[in-house]
Amino acid sequence: MVFNSFDFVTFIIPVLLLYWLVFKQSSTSQNILLLVSSLFFYAWADWRFLILLVISTLVNYYLGLKINKAEEDKKRNVFLYTGVVFNVGLLLYFKYVNFFYEGFYDVLNVFGADIGHDTLTILLPLGISFFTFQTLGYLIDVNNEEIEPSTDILEFSVFVTFFPKILSGPIERAAGLLPQLSIKREFSYAVFVDGLRQILWGLFAKVVIAENCAVLVNSVFGDYQDHPASTLVLLTFFYALQLYADFSGYSNMAIGVSKLFGIQLMRNFSTPFFSTNIADFWRKWHISLTTWMMDYVFTPLSFILRRQQKKGLIISIIATFVLVGFWHGANWTFVVYGLFHGIYFIPLVYSGKMNTSEVVAKGKWLPSLQELLKMLLLFVVIMLTDVFFRASSILEAFDYLRRIFSSTIIKAPWAFMNGTTVMTLLLVGFFVIVEWINRERKHDLEISKFSIYLRWAFYIFIFLLLLLFGRSAETFIYFQF
Amino acid sequence: MEITTIKEKVSNVLTTILEHSNFEMSDELTAKDVDGWDSLSHMMIITKIEEEFGIRFKLRELNKLKNMGALVSLIQSKS
Repeated sequence: MVFNSFDFVTFIIPVLLLYWLVFKQSSTSQNILLLVSSLFFYAWADWRFLILLVISTLVNYYLGLKINKAEEDKKRNVFLYTGVVFNVGLLLYFKYVNFFYEGFYDVLNVFGADIGHDTLTILLPLGISFFTFQTLGYLIDVNNEEIEPSTDILEFSVFVTFFPKILSGPIERAAGLLPQLSIKREFSYAVFVDGLRQILWGLFAKVVIAENCAVLVNSVFGDYQDHPASTLVLLTFFYALQLYADFSGYSNMAIGVSKLFGIQLMRNFSTPFFSTNIADFWRKWHISLTTWMMDYVFTPLSFILRRQQKKGLIISIIATFVLVGFWHGANWTFVVYGLFHGIYFIPLVYSGKMNTSEVVAKGKWLPSLQELLKMLLLFVVIMLTDVFFRASSILEAFDYLRRIFSSTIIKAPWAFMNGTTVMTLLLVGFFVIVEWINRERKHDLEISKFSIYLRWAFYIFIFLLLLLFGRSAETFIYFQF
Repeated sequence: MEITTIKEKVSNVLTTILEHSNFEMSDELTAKDVDGWDSLSHMMIITKIEEEFGIRFKLRELNKLKNMGALVSLIQSKS
């Protein structure tokens, strides 16, 4: 059940009414309703793995308590590592076993042992990459004594299964979400309306921007060999926008829906393309994943390698980004995607210019020429690297890139510049301008300070765009991760 | 070791690694307040502090540090 579906509307309205009118007495009654609706929501998406979600919740709850109770370090470690093996094991089994299985046979074939093999068919439980990372982070935080373990199984179950974020994040932290679940949520009109605004913008990003870009991308990517380089460049532009609008749109809807219940999830995107260097970009792109990787992979790794100075830093960054890539899926294309992003950090590490202002052109209408050039350069690099994200194999990605750097780059992409393309470009232009205006705000449509007329003019305009240009969408790119 | 000596040494480490001294040493100072003290320069600062004081941190100790005051107390407890 995707957020942009009639099914979801018929699900969420009764749940909201029950939540604020019937189950409003205490945090416990609110949590009971949230848990039942979350399990229903997950079962609706894929009932076969409901039991897996329940087992994962119970095991992690139990281990959290055990880690906290254990007095000796040795005992703590036993419980922590059990948790790590359990969570990583689930992920490896469901998501990566085929990858290693095929790799194993490929190695045997390289050595001449020509044995045929079948492909294993293991279904991927929805949201597994997201909820296992969340519970893994929880156990590590308990072990590091950064948080107290949850002693309320109901609260903890909602923390794991809360439906707005179960399928594709944000990957929440216990310190941010658990305390909100232990107190009674009071209805706030301002928060509720803000949630609706964020949903509206997410919906627009998904069904207007991402879906229209998708139509263009899918129309050419299948036979990209037949198109001139200039078209291929335009296509990577649309794909970069599609990827961003798809996932940030999803995230905005998830965060917005959560706000309707008076629960604040963490920000997942913060206008990432308005960045002047790669570090800045990753501080704003899929924030819940990058901060997770930062805390649980990069920090320990760079701590271990700290005596190696900058070399240690670079190794840690590259290893972290390869893992970021691999997290997306069991394909070498994602590994290469991560590897490239890691490599882009090297000049920054050596120049020592990591820390830049979070907001480009803060308090100004327009960026300086230097900022604009830096943003454009960074965007082009990211856009070209996204080819690895889209391609089905590394060879295909390299072939695509090779064709971009050819003489047909100067050939005008007339065949591609039809009405649909021009219309999509205009819509993207509108999207980018609104994001630019809101880049210093808490989300991309935080227009509560605007006058009531301006706000409503804006809502109506977006509604019209949704009606005129919206396309139905059954899935999101990130559901497959 | 005296708190003031520790603070002075830590301040020198920051100046060396970050190549500026635009910060005021106070117990409430956090990495966020200091230009250039980000997740990447952090480990270099930590390593330099370890060298200066001849001590070794545990990652768990570092994760718990909230501000400069906590860092200085940790160094004092180790040296």
